[in-house]
Amino acid sequence: MTNAVVAKDLAKDFDGIPAVKNISFEIKSGECFGILGPNGAGKSTTMKMIYGHVVPTKGELFVLGLNAKTDIKRIKAKIGIVPQEDGLDVDFNSLENLQIFASYYGVPREIALARAEHLLSEMRLSEFKFRHVEALSGGMKRRLAIARSLIHQPDLLVLDEPTTGLDPQARLWIWNYFEGLKAQKKTMILTTHYMEEAERLCDRVAMVDHGVMLDCDSPAELVKKHIGAEVVEITSGTETSYWKSKLTGLNISYQDHENKLFAFFADSQSRQHFVAQLQNVHYVTRLANLNDVFLKLAGYNMRGEA
Amino acid sequence: MIQVWLRNFLFFRKTFLVTLFWTTLEPLMYLAAIGFGLGRFVEQIEGLSFIEFYYPGLLASTAMMVSYFESTYPNYTKLTYQKTYLTMLLTPLNPNQILFGEILWAATKGFIGVCGVILISLLFGLFKAEVYLVLPVLFLLCLIFAAFGMIVTSLAKNYDSFIFSTSGLIIPMSLISGTYFSIADMPIFIRSIAQIFPLTHAVSLTRTILYRQVSLMSLVDIGILIVYFVVFALIAKKLFSRKLIQ
Repeated sequence: MTNAVVAKDLAKDFDGIPAVKNISFEIKSGECFGILGPNGAGKSTTMKMIYGHVVPTKGELFVLGLNAKTDIKRIKAKIGIVPQEDGLDVDFNSLENLQIFASYYGVPREIALARAEHLLSEMRLSEFKFRHVEALSGGMKRRLAIARSLIHQPDLLVLDEPTTGLDPQARLWIWNYFEGLKAQKKTMILTTHYMEEAERLCDRVAMVDHGVMLDCDSPAELVKKHIGAEVVEITSGTETSYWKSKLTGLNISYQDHENKLFAFFADSQSRQHFVAQLQNVHYVTRLANLNDVFLKLAGYNMRGEA
Repeated sequence: MIQVWLRNFLFFRKTFLVTLFWTTLEPLMYLAAIGFGLGRFVEQIEGLSFIEFYYPGLLASTAMMVSYFESTYPNYTKLTYQKTYLTMLLTPLNPNQILFGEILWAATKGFIGVCGVILISLLFGLFKAEVYLVLPVLFLLCLIFAAFGMIVTSLAKNYDSFIFSTSGLIIPMSLISGTYFSIADMPIFIRSIAQIFPLTHAVSLTRTILYRQVSLMSLVDIGILIVYFVVFALIAKKLFSRKLIQ
Protein backbone atom coordinates (compact mmCIF):
# COMPACT_ATOMS: atom_id res chain seq x y z
CA MET A 1 0.00 0.00 0.00
CA THR A 2 1.24 3.49 -0.81
CA ASN A 3 1.42 6.35 1.65
CA ALA A 4 -1.12 9.18 1.47
CA VAL A 5 0.82 11.43 3.83
CA VAL A 6 4.45 11.33 4.88
CA ALA A 7 5.70 13.77 7.52
CA LYS A 8 9.37 13.86 8.49
CA ASP A 9 10.55 15.90 11.49
CA LEU A 10 7.77 18.40 10.96
CA ALA A 11 8.03 21.47 13.19
CA LYS A 12 6.23 24.80 13.48
CA ASP A 13 7.04 27.82 15.64
CA PHE A 14 4.69 30.76 16.06
CA ASP A 15 6.87 33.80 16.79
CA GLY A 16 9.46 31.56 18.41
CA ILE A 17 6.95 29.57 20.44
CA PRO A 18 6.95 25.96 19.25
CA ALA A 19 3.52 24.48 18.48
CA VAL A 20 4.78 21.31 16.79
CA LYS A 21 8.22 19.85 17.48
CA ASN A 22 9.65 17.26 15.11
CA ILE A 23 6.63 15.11 14.41
CA SER A 24 7.07 12.22 11.99
CA PHE A 25 4.36 9.89 10.74
CA GLU A 26 3.10 8.05 7.71
CA ILE A 27 -0.52 7.64 6.73
CA LYS A 28 -1.33 4.79 4.38
CA SER A 29 -3.80 5.06 1.54
CA GLY A 30 -7.22 3.82 2.56
CA GLU A 31 -6.49 4.23 6.23
CA CYS A 32 -8.32 6.31 8.82
CA PHE A 33 -5.63 7.99 10.88
CA GLY A 34 -6.45 9.77 14.13
CA ILE A 35 -4.51 12.53 15.84
CA LEU A 36 -5.44 12.79 19.51
CA GLY A 37 -4.24 15.25 22.08
CA PRO A 38 -5.42 17.82 24.60
CA ASN A 39 -6.10 21.43 23.64
CA GLY A 40 -2.94 23.14 22.46
CA ALA A 41 -1.17 19.85 21.78
CA GLY A 42 -0.47 20.73 18.15
CA LYS A 43 -3.22 18.72 16.46
CA SER A 44 -4.73 21.56 14.50
CA THR A 45 -1.36 23.03 13.58
CA THR A 46 -0.38 19.64 12.15
CA MET A 47 -3.64 19.52 10.20
CA LYS A 48 -3.19 23.07 8.93
CA MET A 49 0.26 22.20 7.66
CA ILE A 50 -1.29 19.38 5.64
CA TYR A 51 -3.77 21.77 4.00
CA GLY A 52 -1.42 24.71 3.69
CA HIS A 53 -2.89 27.28 6.08
CA VAL A 54 0.29 26.98 8.11
CA VAL A 55 3.73 26.75 6.52
CA PRO A 56 6.09 24.40 8.44
CA THR A 57 9.13 26.01 10.02
CA LYS A 58 11.11 22.91 9.17
CA GLY A 59 10.75 19.31 8.13
CA GLU A 60 9.38 17.53 5.09
CA LEU A 61 5.76 16.96 4.25
CA PHE A 62 4.41 14.97 1.34
CA VAL A 63 0.69 14.71 0.70
CA LEU A 64 -0.56 12.29 -1.98
CA GLY A 65 2.98 12.12 -3.32
CA LEU A 66 3.27 15.91 -3.67
CA ASN A 67 5.63 18.15 -1.72
CA ALA A 68 3.66 20.54 0.50
CA LYS A 69 6.38 23.16 0.13
CA THR A 70 6.12 23.46 -3.63
CA ASP A 71 2.85 21.86 -4.68
CA ILE A 72 0.28 23.04 -2.15
CA LYS A 73 -2.10 24.16 -4.91
CA ARG A 74 -2.21 20.69 -6.46
CA ILE A 75 -2.48 19.11 -3.01
CA LYS A 76 -5.46 21.27 -2.15
CA ALA A 77 -7.18 20.27 -5.38
CA LYS A 78 -7.04 16.63 -4.22
CA ILE A 79 -7.96 16.89 -0.55
CA GLY A 80 -11.27 17.66 1.13
CA ILE A 81 -11.18 19.57 4.38
CA VAL A 82 -13.65 19.96 7.22
CA PRO A 83 -12.09 22.70 9.35
CA GLN A 84 -12.81 23.17 13.05
CA GLU A 85 -14.99 26.18 12.36
CA ASP A 86 -17.39 25.26 9.58
CA GLY A 87 -16.55 28.45 7.70
CA LEU A 88 -19.79 28.30 5.73
CA ASP A 89 -20.51 31.34 3.59
CA VAL A 90 -23.27 33.06 5.57
CA ASP A 91 -24.23 35.24 2.60
CA PHE A 92 -25.72 32.20 0.86
CA ASN A 93 -28.06 29.24 1.30
CA SER A 94 -26.99 25.58 1.61
CA LEU A 95 -27.13 24.72 -2.08
CA GLU A 96 -25.34 27.92 -3.09
CA ASN A 97 -22.62 27.22 -0.54
CA LEU A 98 -21.84 23.93 -2.29
CA GLN A 99 -22.09 25.42 -5.78
CA ILE A 100 -19.84 28.38 -4.99
CA PHE A 101 -17.31 26.17 -3.26
CA ALA A 102 -17.28 23.84 -6.28
CA SER A 103 -16.55 26.87 -8.49
CA TYR A 104 -13.39 27.56 -6.47
CA TYR A 105 -12.21 24.09 -7.53
CA GLY A 106 -13.18 24.77 -11.10
CA VAL A 107 -15.87 22.06 -11.13
CA PRO A 108 -18.13 22.75 -14.15
CA ARG A 109 -21.48 24.24 -13.21
CA GLU A 110 -23.81 21.36 -14.22
CA ILE A 111 -21.59 18.75 -12.58
CA ALA A 112 -21.39 20.88 -9.45
CA LEU A 113 -25.17 21.18 -9.28
CA ALA A 114 -25.66 17.42 -9.70
CA ARG A 115 -23.06 16.63 -7.05
CA ALA A 116 -24.43 19.25 -4.68
CA GLU A 117 -27.96 17.84 -4.94
CA HIS A 118 -26.64 14.33 -4.43
CA LEU A 119 -24.55 15.26 -1.40
CA LEU A 120 -27.39 17.27 0.13
CA SER A 121 -29.68 14.26 -0.09
CA GLU A 122 -26.97 11.98 1.28
CA MET A 123 -26.52 14.38 4.21
CA ARG A 124 -30.32 14.58 4.70
CA LEU A 125 -30.23 18.27 3.90
CA SER A 126 -32.32 18.30 0.71
CA GLU A 127 -35.31 19.94 2.33
CA PHE A 128 -33.06 22.69 3.69
CA LYS A 129 -31.23 23.41 0.47
CA PHE A 130 -32.72 26.88 0.11
CA ARG A 131 -32.32 27.68 3.76
CA HIS A 132 -29.85 30.37 4.70
CA VAL A 133 -26.90 28.67 6.43
CA GLU A 134 -27.22 30.81 9.55
CA ALA A 135 -30.67 29.32 10.11
CA LEU A 136 -29.29 25.75 10.17
CA SER A 137 -28.68 23.87 13.42
CA GLY A 138 -25.15 23.00 14.53
CA GLY A 139 -25.51 19.43 13.28
CA MET A 140 -26.86 20.55 9.92
CA LYS A 141 -24.04 23.08 9.49
CA ARG A 142 -21.49 20.38 10.15
CA ARG A 143 -23.16 18.01 7.69
CA LEU A 144 -23.10 20.80 5.11
CA ALA A 145 -19.39 21.36 5.81
CA ILE A 146 -18.82 17.62 5.26
CA ALA A 147 -20.80 17.75 2.01
CA ARG A 148 -18.70 20.75 0.98
CA SER A 149 -15.48 18.83 1.61
CA LEU A 150 -16.64 16.10 -0.81
CA ILE A 151 -17.85 18.33 -3.67
CA HIS A 152 -14.65 17.91 -5.72
CA GLN A 153 -14.37 14.16 -5.00
CA PRO A 154 -11.11 14.32 -3.05
CA ASP A 155 -8.67 11.43 -2.58
CA LEU A 156 -8.02 12.34 1.05
CA LEU A 157 -10.31 13.77 3.73
CA VAL A 158 -8.93 15.99 6.48
CA LEU A 159 -11.35 16.24 9.40
CA ASP A 160 -10.45 18.65 12.18
CA GLU A 161 -12.66 17.82 15.19
CA PRO A 162 -15.63 16.95 12.98
CA THR A 163 -18.06 16.20 15.81
CA THR A 164 -17.04 18.73 18.48
CA GLY A 165 -20.04 20.55 19.87
CA LEU A 166 -22.64 18.25 18.33
CA ASP A 167 -25.39 16.39 20.17
CA PRO A 168 -25.07 12.57 20.54
CA GLN A 169 -27.55 11.85 17.76
CA ALA A 170 -25.77 14.08 15.26
CA ARG A 171 -22.44 12.59 16.29
CA LEU A 172 -23.71 9.06 15.84
CA TRP A 173 -25.06 9.90 12.41
CA ILE A 174 -21.74 11.41 11.33
CA TRP A 175 -19.82 8.42 12.66
CA ASN A 176 -22.01 6.12 10.60
CA TYR A 177 -21.40 8.25 7.56
CA PHE A 178 -17.64 8.16 8.04
CA GLU A 179 -17.79 4.40 8.51
CA GLY A 180 -19.46 4.27 5.11
CA LEU A 181 -16.59 6.31 3.62
CA LYS A 182 -14.12 3.98 5.34
CA ALA A 183 -15.81 1.02 3.70
CA GLN A 184 -15.17 2.75 0.36
CA LYS A 185 -11.49 2.88 1.34
CA LYS A 186 -11.41 6.66 1.49
CA THR A 187 -8.25 7.88 3.24
CA MET A 188 -9.10 10.03 6.26
CA ILE A 189 -7.17 12.05 8.81
CA LEU A 190 -9.12 12.95 11.90
CA THR A 191 -8.45 14.95 15.04
CA THR A 192 -10.77 14.53 17.97
CA HIS A 193 -11.19 14.89 21.71
CA TYR A 194 -13.52 11.93 21.81
CA MET A 195 -11.76 8.66 22.49
CA GLU A 196 -14.89 6.77 21.54
CA GLU A 197 -14.76 8.42 18.13
CA ALA A 198 -11.12 7.46 17.65
CA GLU A 199 -11.70 3.89 18.82
CA ARG A 200 -14.63 3.50 16.51
CA LEU A 201 -13.24 5.09 13.36
CA CYS A 202 -9.46 5.06 13.40
CA ASP A 203 -7.24 2.25 12.16
CA ARG A 204 -4.29 3.95 13.78
CA VAL A 205 -4.00 6.75 16.27
CA ALA A 206 -1.20 9.20 17.04
CA MET A 207 -1.17 10.54 20.58
CA VAL A 208 0.20 14.05 20.55
CA ASP A 209 1.01 16.43 23.39
CA HIS A 210 3.12 19.59 23.68
CA GLY A 211 3.89 19.30 19.99
CA VAL A 212 5.47 15.86 20.35
CA MET A 213 4.14 12.47 19.30
CA LEU A 214 3.89 10.25 22.37
CA ASP A 215 2.90 7.05 20.58
CA CYS A 216 1.30 5.86 17.39
CA ASP A 217 -0.48 2.55 16.87
CA SER A 218 -3.90 0.95 16.46
CA PRO A 219 -6.32 1.80 19.30
CA ALA A 220 -6.42 -1.84 20.50
CA GLU A 221 -2.64 -2.11 20.50
CA LEU A 222 -2.26 1.19 22.37
CA VAL A 223 -4.68 0.04 25.05
CA LYS A 224 -2.92 -3.33 25.35
CA LYS A 225 0.53 -1.76 25.45
CA HIS A 226 -0.10 1.04 27.94
CA ILE A 227 -2.98 -0.20 30.06
CA GLY A 228 -3.71 -3.89 29.58
CA ALA A 229 -7.18 -5.40 29.45
CA GLU A 230 -9.06 -4.24 32.52
CA VAL A 231 -9.12 -1.34 34.93
CA VAL A 232 -10.20 -1.16 38.56
CA GLU A 233 -11.11 2.34 39.72
CA ILE A 234 -10.65 2.59 43.45
CA THR A 235 -12.12 5.52 45.33
CA SER A 236 -9.28 5.67 47.83
CA GLY A 237 -10.21 8.94 49.56
CA THR A 238 -7.96 9.66 52.54
CA GLU A 239 -6.29 6.24 52.31
CA THR A 240 -4.61 6.93 48.99
CA SER A 241 -1.08 6.39 50.25
CA TYR A 242 -2.06 3.04 51.78
CA TRP A 243 -3.53 1.85 48.49
CA LYS A 244 -0.59 3.16 46.54
CA SER A 245 1.91 1.19 48.61
CA LYS A 246 -0.31 -1.87 48.40
CA LEU A 247 -0.48 -1.67 44.60
CA THR A 248 3.25 -1.08 44.38
CA GLY A 249 3.82 -4.06 46.66
CA LEU A 250 1.67 -6.25 44.40
CA ASN A 251 3.56 -4.96 41.38
CA ILE A 252 0.39 -3.57 39.78
CA SER A 253 0.74 -0.47 37.62
CA TYR A 254 -1.65 2.38 38.39
CA GLN A 255 -2.38 6.07 37.93
CA ASP A 256 -3.75 8.36 40.58
CA HIS A 257 -5.94 11.38 40.15
CA GLU A 258 -7.59 13.39 42.95
CA ASN A 259 -8.90 10.74 45.35
CA LYS A 260 -9.09 7.95 42.82
CA LEU A 261 -6.66 5.24 41.80
CA PHE A 262 -6.77 3.51 38.45
CA ALA A 263 -5.18 0.07 38.62
CA PHE A 264 -4.36 -1.63 35.33
CA PHE A 265 -4.51 -5.38 34.66
CA ALA A 266 -3.23 -7.36 31.71
CA ASP A 267 -6.05 -9.94 31.95
CA SER A 268 -9.22 -10.67 33.88
CA GLN A 269 -7.66 -13.42 36.08
CA SER A 270 -5.18 -11.00 37.61
CA ARG A 271 -7.95 -8.47 38.03
CA GLN A 272 -10.20 -11.02 39.75
CA HIS A 273 -7.37 -12.05 41.97
CA PHE A 274 -6.85 -8.44 43.04
CA VAL A 275 -10.52 -7.57 43.49
CA ALA A 276 -10.96 -10.57 45.80
CA GLN A 277 -8.65 -8.84 48.27
CA LEU A 278 -10.57 -5.56 48.28
CA GLN A 279 -12.56 -4.78 51.40
CA ASN A 280 -14.22 -1.66 52.76
CA VAL A 281 -13.48 0.40 49.69
CA HIS A 282 -15.64 1.57 46.82
CA TYR A 283 -14.40 0.33 43.46
CA VAL A 284 -15.56 -0.13 39.88
CA THR A 285 -14.28 -2.68 37.40
CA ARG A 286 -14.34 -2.03 33.68
CA LEU A 287 -12.58 -2.75 30.41
CA ALA A 288 -9.56 -0.65 29.55
CA ASN A 289 -10.09 1.91 26.79
CA LEU A 290 -8.32 4.57 24.79
CA ASN A 291 -9.31 7.20 27.32
CA ASP A 292 -7.06 5.49 29.89
CA VAL A 293 -4.18 5.58 27.43
CA PHE A 294 -4.83 9.21 26.67
CA LEU A 295 -4.92 10.26 30.31
CA LYS A 296 -1.89 8.16 31.15
CA LEU A 297 0.18 9.64 28.34
CA ALA A 298 -1.06 13.22 28.44
CA GLY A 299 -1.65 13.47 32.19
CA TYR A 300 -4.77 14.44 34.07
CA ASN A 301 -4.21 18.17 34.35
CA MET A 302 -6.56 20.55 32.57
CA ARG A 303 -5.10 22.67 29.83
CA GLY A 304 -5.49 26.41 29.86
CA GLU A 305 -4.94 27.33 26.25
CA ALA A 306 -7.37 26.31 23.55
CA MET B 1 -9.61 35.28 -9.27
CA ILE B 2 -12.75 35.32 -11.36
CA GLN B 3 -14.42 32.80 -8.98
CA VAL B 4 -14.00 35.28 -6.14
CA TRP B 5 -15.45 38.06 -8.26
CA LEU B 6 -18.33 35.79 -9.22
CA ARG B 7 -19.08 34.91 -5.61
CA ASN B 8 -19.47 38.59 -4.84
CA PHE B 9 -21.53 39.13 -7.94
CA LEU B 10 -23.93 36.36 -6.87
CA PHE B 11 -24.36 38.04 -3.51
CA PHE B 12 -24.77 41.41 -5.22
CA ARG B 13 -27.60 39.99 -7.33
CA LYS B 14 -29.50 39.19 -4.14
CA THR B 15 -29.30 42.77 -2.98
CA PHE B 16 -29.84 44.33 -6.35
CA LEU B 17 -32.66 46.62 -5.29
CA VAL B 18 -30.56 48.20 -2.55
CA THR B 19 -27.86 48.93 -5.11
CA LEU B 20 -30.29 50.41 -7.58
CA PHE B 21 -31.51 52.67 -4.80
CA TRP B 22 -28.20 54.18 -3.79
CA THR B 23 -26.60 54.26 -7.21
CA THR B 24 -29.33 56.51 -8.55
CA LEU B 25 -30.67 58.33 -5.53
CA GLU B 26 -27.35 59.55 -4.16
CA PRO B 27 -26.10 61.26 -7.33
CA LEU B 28 -29.58 62.70 -7.81
CA MET B 29 -29.39 64.32 -4.39
CA TYR B 30 -25.80 65.50 -4.78
CA LEU B 31 -26.31 66.96 -8.23
CA ALA B 32 -29.55 68.63 -7.15
CA ALA B 33 -28.37 69.97 -3.79
CA ILE B 34 -24.77 70.85 -4.52
CA GLY B 35 -24.57 71.15 -8.28
CA PHE B 36 -27.90 72.85 -8.84
CA GLY B 37 -28.75 74.31 -5.42
CA LEU B 38 -25.36 75.57 -4.30
CA GLY B 39 -24.27 76.17 -7.90
CA ARG B 40 -26.88 78.92 -8.31
CA PHE B 41 -24.72 81.15 -6.11
CA VAL B 42 -21.58 80.55 -8.17
CA GLU B 43 -21.24 82.39 -11.46
CA GLN B 44 -18.42 80.51 -13.11
CA ILE B 45 -15.58 78.33 -12.00
CA GLU B 46 -12.58 77.62 -14.24
CA GLY B 47 -14.75 78.82 -17.12
CA LEU B 48 -17.53 76.32 -16.41
CA SER B 49 -20.92 76.55 -14.74
CA PHE B 50 -20.73 75.16 -11.21
CA ILE B 51 -22.71 71.98 -11.96
CA GLU B 52 -20.50 71.30 -14.99
CA PHE B 53 -17.45 71.84 -12.83
CA TYR B 54 -18.80 69.62 -10.06
CA TYR B 55 -19.94 66.73 -12.30
CA PRO B 56 -16.41 65.30 -12.98
CA GLY B 57 -15.67 65.69 -9.26
CA LEU B 58 -18.76 63.70 -8.39
CA LEU B 59 -17.86 60.99 -10.91
CA ALA B 60 -14.38 60.60 -9.48
CA SER B 61 -15.30 60.84 -5.81
CA THR B 62 -18.09 58.29 -6.31
CA ALA B 63 -15.59 55.90 -7.90
CA MET B 64 -13.26 56.40 -4.95
CA MET B 65 -15.83 56.20 -2.16
CA VAL B 66 -17.78 53.18 -3.38
CA SER B 67 -14.67 51.14 -4.15
CA TYR B 68 -13.01 52.06 -0.88
CA PHE B 69 -16.02 51.22 1.27
CA GLU B 70 -16.68 48.01 -0.66
CA SER B 71 -13.17 46.74 -0.02
CA THR B 72 -12.99 47.71 3.65
CA TYR B 73 -15.96 46.92 5.91
CA PRO B 74 -17.43 43.90 4.08
CA ASN B 75 -14.00 42.45 3.36
CA TYR B 76 -12.85 42.86 6.93
CA THR B 77 -15.93 40.88 7.92
CA LYS B 78 -14.99 38.17 5.41
CA LEU B 79 -11.44 38.16 6.71
CA THR B 80 -12.40 37.88 10.39
CA TYR B 81 -15.94 37.01 11.48
CA GLN B 82 -17.17 35.15 8.43
CA LYS B 83 -13.85 33.42 7.72
CA THR B 84 -14.76 33.51 4.04
CA TYR B 85 -11.15 33.84 2.94
CA LEU B 86 -9.95 30.98 5.13
CA THR B 87 -12.63 28.79 3.57
CA MET B 88 -11.58 29.89 0.08
CA LEU B 89 -8.02 28.94 1.02
CA LEU B 90 -9.11 25.35 1.60
CA THR B 91 -9.41 25.16 -2.18
CA PRO B 92 -6.66 25.64 -4.77
CA LEU B 93 -7.28 29.42 -4.63
CA ASN B 94 -4.27 31.25 -3.22
CA PRO B 95 -4.18 34.57 -1.33
CA ASN B 96 -3.26 36.55 -4.45
CA GLN B 97 -6.20 35.20 -6.41
CA ILE B 98 -8.50 36.09 -3.53
CA LEU B 99 -6.96 39.56 -3.21
CA PHE B 100 -7.21 40.43 -6.88
CA GLY B 101 -10.70 38.94 -7.12
CA GLU B 102 -11.75 41.24 -4.31
CA ILE B 103 -10.00 44.28 -5.80
CA LEU B 104 -11.65 43.61 -9.13
CA TRP B 105 -15.03 43.23 -7.45
CA ALA B 106 -14.75 46.39 -5.33
CA ALA B 107 -13.71 48.27 -8.47
CA THR B 108 -16.69 46.80 -10.32
CA LYS B 109 -18.99 48.05 -7.59
CA GLY B 110 -17.39 51.50 -7.79
CA PHE B 111 -17.88 51.42 -11.52
CA ILE B 112 -21.56 50.61 -11.06
CA GLY B 113 -21.75 53.72 -8.88
CA VAL B 114 -20.10 55.74 -11.65
CA CYS B 115 -22.66 54.44 -14.13
CA GLY B 116 -25.41 55.58 -11.76
CA VAL B 117 -23.97 59.09 -11.72
CA ILE B 118 -23.80 59.16 -15.51
CA LEU B 119 -27.38 57.95 -15.76
CA ILE B 120 -28.61 60.68 -13.42
CA SER B 121 -26.47 63.31 -15.15
CA LEU B 122 -28.78 62.91 -18.15
CA LEU B 123 -31.54 64.54 -16.12
CA PHE B 124 -29.36 67.59 -15.62
CA GLY B 125 -28.35 67.86 -19.26
CA LEU B 126 -24.77 67.03 -18.43
CA PHE B 127 -24.34 64.13 -20.83
CA LYS B 128 -21.42 64.38 -23.24
CA ALA B 129 -20.18 61.76 -25.68
CA GLU B 130 -16.66 62.12 -24.22
CA VAL B 131 -17.92 60.38 -21.10
CA TYR B 132 -17.01 57.04 -22.75
CA LEU B 133 -13.37 58.10 -22.74
CA VAL B 134 -13.61 58.91 -19.07
CA LEU B 135 -14.82 55.43 -18.11
CA PRO B 136 -11.39 53.70 -18.29
CA VAL B 137 -9.87 56.48 -16.17
CA LEU B 138 -12.60 56.12 -13.57
CA PHE B 139 -12.23 52.34 -13.55
CA LEU B 140 -8.51 52.77 -12.90
CA LEU B 141 -9.42 55.08 -10.02
CA CYS B 142 -11.79 52.39 -8.70
CA LEU B 143 -8.94 49.86 -8.83
CA ILE B 144 -6.65 52.22 -6.91
CA PHE B 145 -9.06 52.66 -4.02
CA ALA B 146 -10.10 49.02 -4.03
CA ALA B 147 -6.42 48.13 -3.57
CA PHE B 148 -6.02 50.85 -0.94
CA GLY B 149 -9.06 49.45 0.88
CA MET B 150 -7.47 45.99 0.92
CA ILE B 151 -4.31 47.45 2.48
CA VAL B 152 -6.37 49.01 5.26
CA THR B 153 -8.38 45.80 5.66
CA SER B 154 -5.18 43.77 6.03
CA LEU B 155 -3.85 46.18 8.66
CA ALA B 156 -7.10 46.73 10.59
CA LYS B 157 -7.31 45.55 14.20
CA ASN B 158 -11.08 46.12 14.38
CA TYR B 159 -13.80 48.11 12.63
CA ASP B 160 -12.69 51.33 14.34
CA SER B 161 -9.37 51.13 12.48
CA PHE B 162 -11.16 52.26 9.33
CA ILE B 163 -11.97 55.60 10.96
CA PHE B 164 -8.31 56.59 10.56
CA SER B 165 -8.21 55.99 6.84
CA THR B 166 -11.72 57.29 6.22
CA SER B 167 -11.57 60.53 8.22
CA GLY B 168 -7.82 60.97 7.84
CA LEU B 169 -7.49 60.37 4.12
CA ILE B 170 -10.62 59.59 2.15
CA ILE B 171 -12.81 62.47 3.35
CA PRO B 172 -10.11 65.20 3.09
CA MET B 173 -9.20 63.83 -0.30
CA SER B 174 -12.79 64.02 -1.49
CA LEU B 175 -12.90 67.69 -0.39
CA ILE B 176 -9.63 69.17 -1.65
CA SER B 177 -8.93 67.32 -4.86
CA GLY B 178 -10.67 69.91 -7.00
CA THR B 179 -14.02 68.19 -6.58
CA TYR B 180 -16.18 70.96 -5.07
CA PHE B 181 -13.94 73.95 -5.73
CA SER B 182 -10.99 74.86 -7.89
CA ILE B 183 -7.61 74.31 -6.29
CA ALA B 184 -5.87 76.59 -8.79
CA ASP B 185 -6.29 79.67 -6.54
CA MET B 186 -5.53 77.88 -3.29
CA PRO B 187 -2.40 78.59 -1.23
CA ILE B 188 0.65 76.66 -2.37
CA PHE B 189 0.45 74.50 0.74
CA ILE B 190 -3.01 73.14 -0.14
CA ARG B 191 -2.10 72.83 -3.80
CA SER B 192 0.96 70.73 -3.00
CA ILE B 193 -0.99 68.40 -0.78
CA ALA B 194 -3.69 68.08 -3.42
CA GLN B 195 -1.08 67.13 -6.01
CA ILE B 196 -0.11 64.12 -3.90
CA PHE B 197 -3.68 62.78 -3.91
CA PRO B 198 -4.54 60.38 -6.72
CA LEU B 199 -8.08 61.77 -6.70
CA THR B 200 -6.79 65.20 -7.80
CA HIS B 201 -5.24 63.67 -10.91
CA ALA B 202 -8.35 61.63 -11.67
CA VAL B 203 -10.63 64.68 -11.28
CA SER B 204 -8.44 66.89 -13.42
CA LEU B 205 -8.13 64.18 -16.08
CA THR B 206 -11.89 63.63 -16.10
CA ARG B 207 -12.57 67.35 -16.34
CA THR B 208 -10.04 67.75 -19.13
CA ILE B 209 -11.44 64.87 -21.16
CA LEU B 210 -15.00 66.15 -20.78
CA TYR B 211 -14.50 69.85 -21.42
CA ARG B 212 -10.98 70.61 -22.62
CA GLN B 213 -8.15 69.56 -24.86
CA VAL B 214 -6.19 66.51 -23.78
CA SER B 215 -2.54 67.48 -23.33
CA LEU B 216 0.77 66.06 -22.20
CA MET B 217 -0.32 66.84 -18.65
CA SER B 218 -3.11 64.29 -19.10
CA LEU B 219 -0.52 61.58 -19.78
CA VAL B 220 1.26 62.55 -16.57
CA ASP B 221 -2.04 62.21 -14.70
CA ILE B 222 -2.59 58.73 -16.18
CA GLY B 223 0.98 57.76 -15.34
CA ILE B 224 0.55 58.84 -11.73
CA LEU B 225 -2.70 56.90 -11.42
CA ILE B 226 -1.10 53.74 -12.83
CA VAL B 227 1.84 54.06 -10.44
CA TYR B 228 -0.58 54.46 -7.53
CA PHE B 229 -2.42 51.29 -8.50
CA VAL B 230 0.74 49.22 -8.93
CA VAL B 231 2.20 50.39 -5.63
CA PHE B 232 -1.05 49.86 -3.69
CA ALA B 233 -1.55 46.45 -5.28
CA LEU B 234 1.98 45.34 -4.34
CA ILE B 235 1.59 46.51 -0.75
CA ALA B 236 -1.84 44.88 -0.47
CA LYS B 237 -0.41 41.64 -1.88
CA LYS B 238 2.27 41.49 0.75
CA LEU B 239 0.03 42.39 3.70
CA PHE B 240 -2.92 40.23 2.68
CA SER B 241 -0.84 37.04 2.22
CA ARG B 242 0.78 37.57 5.57
CA LYS B 243 -2.64 37.88 7.16
CA LEU B 244 -3.90 34.60 5.71
CA ILE B 245 -0.98 32.16 5.82
CA GLN B 246 1.06 31.73 8.98
